[in-house]
Amino acid sequence: MTVYLIVKSIFMAGLLGASFYLFGTKLKRLFTIMQSVDGENPGQPNRIPERIKVLFKDVLGQTNVRRKKMPGWAHTLIFFGFLAVQPHSLELMVRGVIPGFSVGHLFPGIYNAYLFIADILGFLVLVGFAYAAYRRFVIKPKYLTMGKDANFIILFTCTIILTFHLINACQVVSPYAAHGHDYASVFPVSGMFISLFGLAGVSPGNQIGLFELFYWIHMLTIMGFLIYIPGSKHLHLLAAAPNVFLKPLEREKAIAKTDIEDEEAETFGLGKINELNWKNVLNLYACTECGRCQEQCPADHTGKPLSPKAFVHDLKTELFNRSQKILDGKQEEIEPFLNAAEGLTSDVIWSCTTCRACEDICPVNIQHLDFMIEARKYQVLMEASFPEEMQDTFVNMENQGNPWGFSSDTRENWCKDLNIPTIRKNPDADILWFVGSASSFDDRAVKISKALAGLLERAGTNVAILGNEEWGAGDTARRAGNEYLAQAMIQQNVETLNGCKPKRILTACPHTYNMLKNEYPQFGGTYDVVHHSEFLLELIQEKKLVPGNKNLGRITFHDSCYLGRWNGIFEAPRQLIAGMNQGQPPVEMGRTGDKGFCCGAGGARMFMEETLGSYINVDRAKEIQASGADLVASACPYCVTMLQDGLKECESDIKVLDIAELLYQQVSEENK
Amino acid sequence: MSKIGVLIETADQTIKTSVPGVIAAAALGGEVVGFVLDGLADTYKDQLGAFGVTELVNLTAGELVFSKAPEAAGQALACGVKAFGVTALLGVSSPVGNDLLARAAVALKAPLALDCIDVDFAKNTVKKSHFSGKAIATLEMVGSPFVCGIRPNSFEPADAACACTAKDLAVTIEGCEAVKITKITAAGSGQKDLTEAMVIISGGRPMGSADNFTILDACAEKLSAVVGASRAAVDAGYAAHTMQVGQTGKIVNPKLYIGCGLSGSVQHFAGMKTSKVIVAINTDKDAPIFSKSDYGIIGDLFDVVPALTKELAKLE
Repeated sequence: MTVYLIVKSIFMAGLLGASFYLFGTKLKRLFTIMQSVDGENPGQPNRIPERIKVLFKDVLGQTNVRRKKMPGWAHTLIFFGFLAVQPHSLELMVRGVIPGFSVGHLFPGIYNAYLFIADILGFLVLVGFAYAAYRRFVIKPKYLTMGKDANFIILFTCTIILTFHLINACQVVSPYAAHGHDYASVFPVSGMFISLFGLAGVSPGNQIGLFELFYWIHMLTIMGFLIYIPGSKHLHLLAAAPNVFLKPLEREKAIAKTDIEDEEAETFGLGKINELNWKNVLNLYACTECGRCQEQCPADHTGKPLSPKAFVHDLKTELFNRSQKILDGKQEEIEPFLNAAEGLTSDVIWSCTTCRACEDICPVNIQHLDFMIEARKYQVLMEASFPEEMQDTFVNMENQGNPWGFSSDTRENWCKDLNIPTIRKNPDADILWFVGSASSFDDRAVKISKALAGLLERAGTNVAILGNEEWGAGDTARRAGNEYLAQAMIQQNVETLNGCKPKRILTACPHTYNMLKNEYPQFGGTYDVVHHSEFLLELIQEKKLVPGNKNLGRITFHDSCYLGRWNGIFEAPRQLIAGMNQGQPPVEMGRTGDKGFCCGAGGARMFMEETLGSYINVDRAKEIQASGADLVASACPYCVTMLQDGLKECESDIKVLDIAELLYQQVSEENK
Repeated sequence: MSKIGVLIETADQTIKTSVPGVIAAAALGGEVVGFVLDGLADTYKDQLGAFGVTELVNLTAGELVFSKAPEAAGQALACGVKAFGVTALLGVSSPVGNDLLARAAVALKAPLALDCIDVDFAKNTVKKSHFSGKAIATLEMVGSPFVCGIRPNSFEPADAACACTAKDLAVTIEGCEAVKITKITAAGSGQKDLTEAMVIISGGRPMGSADNFTILDACAEKLSAVVGASRAAVDAGYAAHTMQVGQTGKIVNPKLYIGCGLSGSVQHFAGMKTSKVIVAINTDKDAPIFSKSDYGIIGDLFDVVPALTKELAKLE
């Protein structure tokens, strides 16, 4: 026996040393890759106390994961159970090397209490995995990757937990395994394994044999797992927590500003995989391919080649394929990945509507759009490669400041019969209304503008517009990757706006709202910006507008991505609808709020042909029909157009109206 | 006085309309020597003399037809430049011009700039427009001679009549067998191109089916028009994508645009807003297209279009 223990001790020490060494080497390599990529350093994290709170809430609290209920609870069980058994495994490791080692002798009370809890939590891992297995082998959701990787991990982890219980059971029945500690009544679950496997009836010699068998299986599996993790999707065990810690603390987000004035720059955007920054790389490490992003993605849902999950996975694969070159400093040998690396095609990056459903749902806060937009920038700025329809759109925005190419000196024509002064004529206006291109030139959207103008007049708002001095806000150009054009448009507007020092800026377009509020500050334009959904609600609350009492019927509300997911404005339009429709809140569609489904127009998709898969707006139109609503309200001119077209395609007569149009009807009703 | 060479681009024995402008540009630098590649200098010399060409040179290379041998044409131009000692070679920045000027520049090992909007022979600089005219780049042409393509319509033709003498220069061409043009086929033959059409008649979703487009075809035949479609009609599968007029389809510029059952969405309007006369046929008197049309017919296109076709037939 002593000989065996000595051999075991030597083996154990050797194996542990080797496996931890391998694990450490792999980890160091991953870390060195992060340090070796060429992307501009996004800076050190700020607001550390808030971030620590995030760790507690999102990681330890598992709140993000549980946004998907059943898989979320299963993950919570696995997470805590797996954490709980770690000290136990550590003790066993040490005991394998130093046979005399025992924590139980030192703190028997704490030790027993810990084991009691770990025993229960450990078992719950198996419950969690039972659900995971059921999901993988019976439900088989389309968005899950059914690879060997995941099955391996389930197998590894189940083996670890099962042997954990069997080792515990042996420790109860075998004095050899107990090692001088009394384990009776410490293990509520493992205790049941004794009777289940009839361990009490096994001869003491065989008990020792079984204990040693379970011990070795347990240890070898853990060591194997340790070596396996860094190369598998289970890298998320290590990368998820730091990635969540570093997540953007605000929902509102601006596209990174590219320094196009930098004369030293040899390239713009993301063309080669070594141009990622360390945070991007950590994002890629953190992905565990849970597929929630894919489940939410409008492109994937309508049969386009883009899946955010596959996109991240393919970028990660490309990174690992080129990692040796990155580490060796042979960056110049790396080729641009688009249309060269597996899965990363032009169709993938141009299918994205930038709706941010993927980023919003990601339990580990991967910022998919950081990759997407930068890849588009590279295509446009370096390769001049983009969907051909965008050519005219770009030229139009460049020359006339709107995507359709209407003469820029007709921008204010929509309101020539209305009494709305320009800011030059009314420099003291309380509200500067930034109308936006669609709302100035598109006849359908002009109806919304006119309704809003009517409401402002009725409320007695002291308002002015920029008139022909206004230029498109730059959303389309920026999201289409034409950073140069976007910056030119933004700078022109910032100069105009800074010149007239607006007290508050109102806009009825969520894309414009997002630009003014979140992206103009990058260019020295910081303003108090309000979207018309919020502003009209204010006017009602201040009794400056009094809606009529007519029943408008069953209204459903379609969330604009740039109002909702990009800026967190979900409630204002809903309150507004309830406030004008006899207090009835809108009828909600299946996909709503932060899980709302895009209309298909975001990310400059409004100006591209939708040649792949089925139409996103038709998909949404069908959902509107299924909601049983008589009318669909929106708060974005692009959404209105897309939904209207989609409903026409479905031969539905459900009307699409902007909240301003609805309110204008109701207010006019009141004053009849 | 220095001499400036000009490639006289011709097609079917006619001088290209943009050539006189280039001659005016060249005249700013000295006497203008024209190079002709089709051997018809005698035919052109009076015409070109009126714009200020003093010497017109027929470049020939035995039996070689330059229009079928662009490499040889480039070499011949280079020979002409050397033989007449011109300090710069200019031409129209057209597809043919860009091709031949570039080849000549290679043969001369001379600096080349295409699509220029201005040229200054005193400073040896040219100007190019970028970003739709928002930025103008001034390029210095280091070395003599230099080669420069002028963007069409950048210079007004000058009235500078002078005596023009026709000359011949036989050149020897070597090693130019890599490219041989065997056949030239006009693009889109058979199907008329929407973007070049003078008259367009377009159908929207109310067309109802691909078969119904035949009533537009019948009307188009009488009007020598090309048939277009809205995105909705294309999406519904009634018409081919090549027929789509609009922001994401074809941008058209006809003299007459007849929209049948089109609502007039901004995306469609953006593609045909420069039409000289717009006629709309729609059953909905509130359709936005009426606010953008010169003439509006409130009525069912299935009544109006056949009636129109019938009346047009009477006129024949």
